[in-house]
Amino acid sequence: MQRFLYLVFFALMAGLSFGAGHKSVHQKPAVLREDSASAITVRTLDTAAIRAYSKQPEFKYKEDAVAPTLWTRFWRWFWNWIRRVFKSTSPKKGGSVSAFWNVFFKYLFLVLGIVAVVFLVFRLVGVDMQNVFRRRPKAVPVPYSEFFEDINAIRFDEEIEHALAKHNYRLAVRLLYLKCLKQLSDAGLIEWQIDKTNSDYVNELANADQRSAFRFLTRQFEYVWYGEFLIDRPVYNDISGSFHDFNKHVA
Amino acid sequence: MEEEIFRQRTDLGKLNEAIEQIKAAIGTVIIGQQDTIELLIAGILADGHVLIEGVPGVAKTLTAKLIAKAIDAKYSRIQFTPDLMPSDVLGTSVFNPKTIDFEFRRGPVFGNIILIDEINRAPAKTQSALFEVMEERQITIDGQKYIMEEPFIVLATQNPVEQEGTYRLPEAQLDRFLFKVEVKYPSLEEEISIITQQHQKNTTEQVADIKPVLSQADIISLRGQVRGLHVEPKILEFVAKIIQETRNNKSLYLGASPRASLAVVNAAKALAAIKGRDFVTPDDVVWVVPHVLRHRIMLTPDKEMEGVSADDVLKQIVQKIEVPR
Repeated sequence: MQRFLYLVFFALMAGLSFGAGHKSVHQKPAVLREDSASAITVRTLDTAAIRAYSKQPEFKYKEDAVAPTLWTRFWRWFWNWIRRVFKSTSPKKGGSVSAFWNVFFKYLFLVLGIVAVVFLVFRLVGVDMQNVFRRRPKAVPVPYSEFFEDINAIRFDEEIEHALAKHNYRLAVRLLYLKCLKQLSDAGLIEWQIDKTNSDYVNELANADQRSAFRFLTRQFEYVWYGEFLIDRPVYNDISGSFHDFNKHVA
Repeated sequence: MEEEIFRQRTDLGKLNEAIEQIKAAIGTVIIGQQDTIELLIAGILADGHVLIEGVPGVAKTLTAKLIAKAIDAKYSRIQFTPDLMPSDVLGTSVFNPKTIDFEFRRGPVFGNIILIDEINRAPAKTQSALFEVMEERQITIDGQKYIMEEPFIVLATQNPVEQEGTYRLPEAQLDRFLFKVEVKYPSLEEEISIITQQHQKNTTEQVADIKPVLSQADIISLRGQVRGLHVEPKILEFVAKIIQETRNNKSLYLGASPRASLAVVNAAKALAAIKGRDFVTPDDVVWVVPHVLRHRIMLTPDKEMEGVSADDVLKQIVQKIEVPR
């Protein structure tokens, strides 16, 4: 069987080589023809142009040796020193600077680099650098402006008279309350501030009787002013009487 | 001198009576936490949802359960887990071989008082399933709209986000909560009372003993009363100024939305009703502002790094604005 397979392989190879040889017999040799149509002109280099080019600084390949300035020499020294510091930290090359200082300077530069990056990030984000490590933020001062009503600038008696003349009892009660707050503030019993609510002032009073009486007045004011309960002259007189009684005790 | 001159225009007698009953019933189990209980009642009266946040063991879930028990309405509880799917909450269509058709099987969200325990344990996909139902009180599934029965209240509890296995709730969902109530640790006196009163009692039995105080119809009626309370225009302006300031404040990356303005007014009205008044005062507004806004605003990254809290910024904002008087 094996002999038969060799015979078949030999026959195939012989057939292929014969076919290839037979093809090459019929191929014609390549012929090069002379190109007589285009005339060849020989060009020479223009020496004048070469001379002109060589005078231009762009084509000047040789550099004239110029003595370095002090500034250049400093930077050259600085970068050489940096290179030396970092090179000499490797165990093979020992520099002139001691190994301890090499390592020290290497890590110092690394730390400085990290600090610089963190500082840049904080600056970009807009973090207040002074308060980064503090737990409590700075207290924001309460901005006062001329738009806020100043109880010290109101002429209460006149304004109340005007309101009563117009039968605006609601406004009159409001003015009575503001007058009362001013009196408490003048007496040092409360501290007037725009952001304080009525209950803040009530709770600020140390005397229990005063607190109770002022709470009652505050309730009357709140019903009239915030609740917009309609009141007439007799009701106003009652409320006004309560305020006068309280003010007498404060003064 | 102490004689009252004015009488309320709205009869709040029934409401105040019910509130006192609820407080008394809850007070038998919960010691302290008056603010939390008041805010939960205010949330129910103002038709809002309440998010209760606190560390484990401060009776968040228990308080919410007790409030739910005090109202005679359909109550359901959903424990949020990381693998919870929207269909587990809303419901899903199931094939019925008898009718040879799909039938919608309602999820636990179909109820009146929904207690979602540990809401921040579910991922955003499940949270977003609650958007429609919380805001519009309806669910749309397979093109079919399902309207929720009134009252519909979501009481959700969560642990602070820095704890393991939790997700931050999406801003759109946070804005749908009327209040974010922060439950603090009890004081020393309260702690002693808790230990003294509770160490021999069984909480489950205590909860079972709570009897409903208000019916569904009562809640609907009381909500109508609260909605109609009087708010002076200067107080509305005061609220608007606070909200505007949150949008212009340099410490805030995200200010409060117009929905927040309405929420402050509605919450202040509910608080006024609880206090027995039929009108709102600046005290009501100042008191509700941190609870309504703390979860709706976002601090700038640098302020967060400085350790400033939303409450600190809100306090500063309120200090800047003149109280109407």
